Amino acid sequence: MRKLMSNPILGKCLPWVLPILLIVVWAILSNLDVISRKILPLPQDVLFSFRDLLLSGKLIEHIAISFQRAFIGFLIGGGIGLVLGFINGLSSIAEKLLDTTIQMVRNVPHLAMIPLVVLWFGIGEESKIFLVAVGVLFPVYINTLHGIRSVDNGLIEMGSVYGLRSASLFWKVVLPGALPSILVGLRYALGIMWLTLIVSETIATNSGIGFLAMNAREYMQTDIILLTIVLYALFGKLADSIAKLLEKRFLQWNPNYQK
Amino acid sequence: MSTLKSSTHGVHLRITQLQKSFGEQPVLRGIELDVKPGEFIAIIGRSGCGKSTLLRVIAGLEPSTSGDIRINDHPVDQVHAETRMMFQDARLLPWNKVIDNVAIGLRKEDRHKAEAALDQVGLGARANEWPSVLSGGQKQRVALARALASQPKLLLLDEPLGALDALTRIEMQQLIESLWQQQPFTTVLITHDVEEAVVLADRVVLIEEGRIAMDRTVPFSRPRQRGNAEVAAFIDHILKRVMGITEVESRHEAEDLPYPLKKGS
Repeated sequence: MRKLMSNPILGKCLPWVLPILLIVVWAILSNLDVISRKILPLPQDVLFSFRDLLLSGKLIEHIAISFQRAFIGFLIGGGIGLVLGFINGLSSIAEKLLDTTIQMVRNVPHLAMIPLVVLWFGIGEESKIFLVAVGVLFPVYINTLHGIRSVDNGLIEMGSVYGLRSASLFWKVVLPGALPSILVGLRYALGIMWLTLIVSETIATNSGIGFLAMNAREYMQTDIILLTIVLYALFGKLADSIAKLLEKRFLQWNPNYQK
Repeated sequence: MSTLKSSTHGVHLRITQLQKSFGEQPVLRGIELDVKPGEFIAIIGRSGCGKSTLLRVIAGLEPSTSGDIRINDHPVDQVHAETRMMFQDARLLPWNKVIDNVAIGLRKEDRHKAEAALDQVGLGARANEWPSVLSGGQKQRVALARALASQPKLLLLDEPLGALDALTRIEMQQLIESLWQQQPFTTVLITHDVEEAVVLADRVVLIEEGRIAMDRTVPFSRPRQRGNAEVAAFIDHILKRVMGITEVESRHEAEDLPYPLKKGS
């Protein structure tokens, strides 16, 4: 078994066996007419509509706008979460002042704010970016705070005996010590980012991948709906891979991430 | 004591009437200690006697409740720039390579000092490895190199060898002794191990219930042979004193006087 796992080609292929198997089963079932094509279209139909949308340039347009929303929202929400996490992690006065409020707001499901957000911002870009930012903020905040709190006190003490003062202590000891936890928050936030974007794009929008799906529903184009779902799955995987890459880059000192 | 001497050798450490309490609980009850520049003293005592607290107060990590600690006649109120401390655990930063751990707190242009210190403890070849791949003894050697890289005038050792196996411990003791002989920083070693105290220190100080109960100069020349009968007898004598199995009269004296035992007995 271990010998099999150490084969590099097999190691790269193994994670994709299950998704490909799923598509094969889908292809067989729908081609044999076991499932109605109105409910589940043929895989090749999905592929054709992918080609058509790609050639017309519409797909790229919608993907680009969705990416833009996700990215800007993530940057704003993640940035605020990170800064709040640092402030509250480093100052107990700030935590006393802010944490209760943050915990109350955190427990409001941010998607429940959609009606209000639509009233505030309309169905333009702001509403989507706002929702993504709110969704991303809390996992980043909580994990940053937890990361800073769990930095080994012995290391901080060592740092102060060895001449590190507040700024250098932060950069050399506190931040690297909190980083594993911050990256967990980042990874979790990436998932929330897609989820929020999908929901907000299907409810109130006139562009983006979610709009593509909602528009297709109006015309019973199940192939396009399915295409958007596959796209979401692939983008989710992409975001996760980026997060993993970051972990590998920044946590190479950690034996758990080596190799 | 001239200032020139203090800059080339270790510092002069003087502690007078030092008291430290945690809440209502007194831990140190009037410590009097004078450590000459370049002197190596060992502080022994049972756990909970306050010896680690004393070291932390000297390091400036804990404020004293009352009394006075002076390094070269300057009162200690925070972490002193020329003091370095080794802890029981190595406390290496796991996200820094070995060499960067040693160079912590050094200026960029002083990096060669870190390399030299790492060579001194025999780990120059491991400079670019992560601390996680080192053994416990190697980690403590890196911690020692880190302490020495900035050429401290006062080295505080808080049971740094307590967690090591017997062979590694003897190796480390010899290493510490030879490095101290090369650059005689003032050293305060906290230890449970009476043999370690006698082998390494110029003076052995016993703390009991927050007071100095015994202060004895070790009369043997270096390097000290563990197997030597006189050394063994001396160790045994101090061990008995620590355990409280000494003769009734000397025990009685010990409670009142800081220097209860005759030298070389």
